[in-house]
Amino acid sequence: MTETLIATLVSGLVLGSLYALMASGLSVVWTTLGVFNFSHGALMMVGAFIAWTVSEAAGLGLLAGITAGTLAAAVIGVIIERLLIRPFYGNRNMLLITVMTTLAAMIILEKGAQIIWGARLKQLPRLIDGEVSVFGTTISAHEAVLAVIAPLVLIAIWRFTVSTSTGRSLRAVGQNQNSATLIGIDVPVAFALAFGLSAALAGLTGALLGSIRFITPVMGADPLVKAMIVVIFGGLGSLGATAGAAYVIGIIEALLILWLGLYWTPFVLFLLMIIVLIFRPNGIFGSAE
Amino acid sequence: MNPALRNIVLPLACLAMLALVPVFAIDGYTRHLFVIAFIYAIIASNWNLSLGHCGVFNFGHLSFFGVGVYTTAIAAKTFDVNPWLAILFAGVTAAIAAFLVAAPVARLKGIYVVLVTFAFSQLAMQLVLSQSYITGGAEGIVRIPYLRLGDYSFLKDYKLGYYYVGLGLLVISTLFLLAVTNSPFGKSLKAVRDAEDYAAARGISVSRQRVLVIVLSAIFTGIAGGFYAIYLRVASPEVFGFGTLSLALSMVLIGGAGTTYGPIVAALALTFATESLAGLRGFEEARFIVVAVAMILVLRLAPGGLLGLLDKLIPEKRQE
Repeated sequence: MTETLIATLVSGLVLGSLYALMASGLSVVWTTLGVFNFSHGALMMVGAFIAWTVSEAAGLGLLAGITAGTLAAAVIGVIIERLLIRPFYGNRNMLLITVMTTLAAMIILEKGAQIIWGARLKQLPRLIDGEVSVFGTTISAHEAVLAVIAPLVLIAIWRFTVSTSTGRSLRAVGQNQNSATLIGIDVPVAFALAFGLSAALAGLTGALLGSIRFITPVMGADPLVKAMIVVIFGGLGSLGATAGAAYVIGIIEALLILWLGLYWTPFVLFLLMIIVLIFRPNGIFGSAE
Repeated sequence: MNPALRNIVLPLACLAMLALVPVFAIDGYTRHLFVIAFIYAIIASNWNLSLGHCGVFNFGHLSFFGVGVYTTAIAAKTFDVNPWLAILFAGVTAAIAAFLVAAPVARLKGIYVVLVTFAFSQLAMQLVLSQSYITGGAEGIVRIPYLRLGDYSFLKDYKLGYYYVGLGLLVISTLFLLAVTNSPFGKSLKAVRDAEDYAAARGISVSRQRVLVIVLSAIFTGIAGGFYAIYLRVASPEVFGFGTLSLALSMVLIGGAGTTYGPIVAALALTFATESLAGLRGFEEARFIVVAVAMILVLRLAPGGLLGLLDKLIPEKRQE
């Protein structure tokens, strides 16, 4: 019994790491631009496909692939910001309009990927082969790498937004655009930077996930929905709350799968989400505005 | 344009033209496209009721359609309910599903409305996929019973019967939407959309109006789903997917959110446009990209939709 429980907790930790990488990207864009990026999952998918193309089709190796996937997603992210989000700054309905434009971006990326790469399943090799023993249960070494990379990346972003002046300018823009402009911050640059950073995170997640799951044009949909549940639990406001919620959801999901099976888990997660929203409309860790 | 001409004569003239279409379009394929267009027109115009008229950003609208599809499919195929009755059931279950999602959503604001309704539609799809002993899972339900009227089978006459049932449903749905939007209730919806605090101060219960508008928008959407299942004789989980969602959303936006006829016109135009694109080589997938780009362009250049753009142009001409 303890062994199954530990195995479940470890797999929850791996899931949580994945969700934390996804959701923190959403959170960065939300806190800086006030935009919820529906194309985040599709950017993840693009990262995975580019990583596959560079690593497998071109034969340049996995590390080059992961780098290329991350960079490509970042570039596409900046393009999306320039073409689909910037024209609507200051619009009264900006929040809802950008939901629709980023949804359109998602369709364009998914269908584009289907045309370019076809529907055949692809997979990346693992970063490290073999298995690792954690607290008496074994997981694949690649999953262990994912679980180690995620917190490191999150800490890096957190340090970036707290202690570098560029990072602080992102937070300033998120809090008050006018004041940020007055003290000499280039707001459009900050927006592009935030979006590019978030897209790079998505691309990295996709490239890492491409070794565990199959790479398909729609592979981003499920992580996006999970990331949504995470940000509803954690609130969209702060990186720490989002990351915390990601691990909580990952572990809850792993436990639910153990107790209820794969089929009923999404329902219970959804119900939990509704209950949270009824009592805490800004998320469990969110502040009551 | 004269309001009476615009609101009464023009729609009736269009209706008369649509009623005569089968006389000229005698092949099954053209009629099939019209039936699909009617179904999309019902989805888009009812979505517009909550989105355009009340400003509720319900991203789960297509799940009501999906609930309708599966209600009718299961009722008609598994329980041998008369298909006509099964289509009506779909309206009831869709309204119940709408109430379930609307109740928690009513008090939420901004992006959280989008997130919860979207998650709801994903959940509905998960339910359909996982409960495969009832829903057929990913393969769906096939060979659903078709419509009959006495001894007349609707499979005959190149879909003539289905054409008029589809058109009839669209007319009833549109009359229903007109009745709702022109009633005092409809005006309170606009008040909730445009000035929430003022509406609340004048004694309108904002959350109650939101729940009501979502439920009302689900009824004909569900019935359209039921008709879709009976007409195509297939129910598949694709109806919950992003493809249908983006197509219906683009119809609302391109037609003009908040207008009554805009989404209907856009649904007819877009169905034919995407179908003809699907016929071109290499455009089977790319047509969705074309629709997405069109949606972005409309949001960018004509936020009131193309019909709204027309309205803007006409008074200018008159002034000249």
